[in-house]
Amino acid sequence: MEIWSLPFSPSQRAKLLSAGYTYLHSFSHLSPSALAADLDVSPQEASDVLRVVTQAGMMRKPDSIVAGAQTAWDILCEDRTMNHITTSCEDLDGILGGGISCKEITEVGGVPGIGKTQLGIQLAVNVQIPVEYGGLGGKAIYVDTEGSFMVERAFQIAESCIQDIMDKVLQTDDVGVCQENLHVNAILANIFYFRICSYTEQIAVVNYLEKFISAQKDVKIIIIDSVTFHFRQDFDDLALRTRVLSALAQKMMKLAKKFNLAVVLLNQVTTKCTDGSFQLTLALGESWSHACTNRIILYWKGNERCAYLDKSPSLPLSAAPFSVTTKGIRSVASSCKRMRTT
Amino acid sequence: MPPLKSLQHQFPSIDSNLLHFCASHGIFSVEDFLVHDLYMLVALAERQTSSKGLKEGIAQVLTFLNNQHFPWMNGVELLESTQHNKHFLLTGFDGIDTLLCGGLCEGNLTELAGPSSSGKTQFCLHAAAHVAYTYMCSVLYLDTSNSFSSKRISYRVNRLLASPNKGEKGRSLEGIMSSILSHSVFDIFSMFETLHQLELSLSSQAEIQNSKLRLLIVDSISSLITPILGGKGPQGHSLMLNVGFILKKLAIDYNLAVLVTNHTVVGEGGNSKPALGESWKSVPHTRLLLSRDQMSNICNMSILKHTSMACGQTASFRLDG
Repeated sequence: MEIWSLPFSPSQRAKLLSAGYTYLHSFSHLSPSALAADLDVSPQEASDVLRVVTQAGMMRKPDSIVAGAQTAWDILCEDRTMNHITTSCEDLDGILGGGISCKEITEVGGVPGIGKTQLGIQLAVNVQIPVEYGGLGGKAIYVDTEGSFMVERAFQIAESCIQDIMDKVLQTDDVGVCQENLHVNAILANIFYFRICSYTEQIAVVNYLEKFISAQKDVKIIIIDSVTFHFRQDFDDLALRTRVLSALAQKMMKLAKKFNLAVVLLNQVTTKCTDGSFQLTLALGESWSHACTNRIILYWKGNERCAYLDKSPSLPLSAAPFSVTTKGIRSVASSCKRMRTT
Repeated sequence: MPPLKSLQHQFPSIDSNLLHFCASHGIFSVEDFLVHDLYMLVALAERQTSSKGLKEGIAQVLTFLNNQHFPWMNGVELLESTQHNKHFLLTGFDGIDTLLCGGLCEGNLTELAGPSSSGKTQFCLHAAAHVAYTYMCSVLYLDTSNSFSSKRISYRVNRLLASPNKGEKGRSLEGIMSSILSHSVFDIFSMFETLHQLELSLSSQAEIQNSKLRLLIVDSISSLITPILGGKGPQGHSLMLNVGFILKKLAIDYNLAVLVTNHTVVGEGGNSKPALGESWKSVPHTRLLLSRDQMSNICNMSILKHTSMACGQTASFRLDG
């Protein structure tokens, strides 16, 4: 195995190559002090280099063809038990195959005022629905870059969510147990809120999240509202933007897979001119559109809000209407539905 | 090239005497050895007192060097090897298999580029299911965006198992799906590690479920490379080309068909072109461009580059389900 394929910083790599160390076996029987003298670095740095090299050298033939690989059959069996995070709108859940799926990045984009932040807050509440009532019983991380998260609205949505669960439970007479476990303050306490004011803070938060989630141990959704805001104005170097955003997306993918949680990224829209006609598309460009696993576009259809599933590896592309009510995100016909009392 | 002193432990004839002799002529690493005039060196070694030991040491270094490169092959051997080993793997889409004169070619690196949601992942999943079913072999799927959908694979395999013309009994969904492996890779260095592990396994002839690995899919290689490409140094470029070379080497040495996906960016004039730039263009053997008709399930594939066919030809396929 060669040195350039190991994760060294560019300056370390340059020093190693100029000193003639190109293969792993160049390091055999080398002490940290000898290496430090050869490379003209501190002994601490030399022992760090040797640690990376020994780790790479310890690679033996793995048990399966590649360590960590899973067969498609095992993944299929696992997925059968995978939970989805409901959006509280049956039509929307229908096109998403049950709701927002864990282990995947879902991008939600739309014009201003369509309900992206509302959907984000609804998901942050819904992820906490206990497992007995069909939810995940997890916590939420809300990264706010625009300042559009309103605690009063979250309070309102949480109250309505509890009310909905109680209504369902009323039909099965388990009221007492339910009331003890669900409380609005508990729901709000399980939403971890980060307020971000620049793109460097955004990168820093994403880097910090792994440690945070390992400590918290129950986070099931990360919502970034919106991922676009700090990358639009005053960002001159577009090549740097593409690099930073794709690195961010890959880190979120790793978090989603490692901790089995859902990642929801909210995006804004921009105008694209093709052949003289103008079209609304999601912001951040072509390269960003490949970064997510699923994509939902929210748009107006007359007076109604609709959601279109634009990209998915396993579901057909389709649309569904939804509405934003005082209770949160609900299906369109729900305002006309009367509660069944029997 | 390693420094000469690291070879000391492996080959006892390369002793401190030889090292001292070489150092006196400015030779510290194997590279210096190659560059130096060997006849001169041997002649100078004759004049030394321990000339026999020195000449043994020099011969040892030369043997070591001879083992570092691939053996020479002539045209006839190459042709025989190609006809014997490098077969075509049918993808399951008839139009595409005809377009590619038989399907995905073993020993070749095929790139599939296309805008977002144009059907690249669906094509890869479909091809993986079809190859695992038809050739009773293993498929390795390296996934960078958590889009490996076991549901779609099971859907495809069930359709194939139910089709009337393949009348083999005793093959189950579980058996076929157990020979398709999926691994998530999220950055370029984990990719190098994974490919290195794969090479170790293949060189020791490991098999998954008693079946040989014949197809390697990377979906998508551009997500790993975009975060490092560009910027101040050439490091990103060199890593990109290196990963391309490793994939091609794996394809040729172990007769794998390698399929990678790439995304597209907007070029001059508003046309979309494959991402990763000019240097990447020469890396894959075959380059295909995919596009999807608006709001439909029909995808169109066109050939951008092929080692043995004309470019510009197109074919369509339909994504079902």
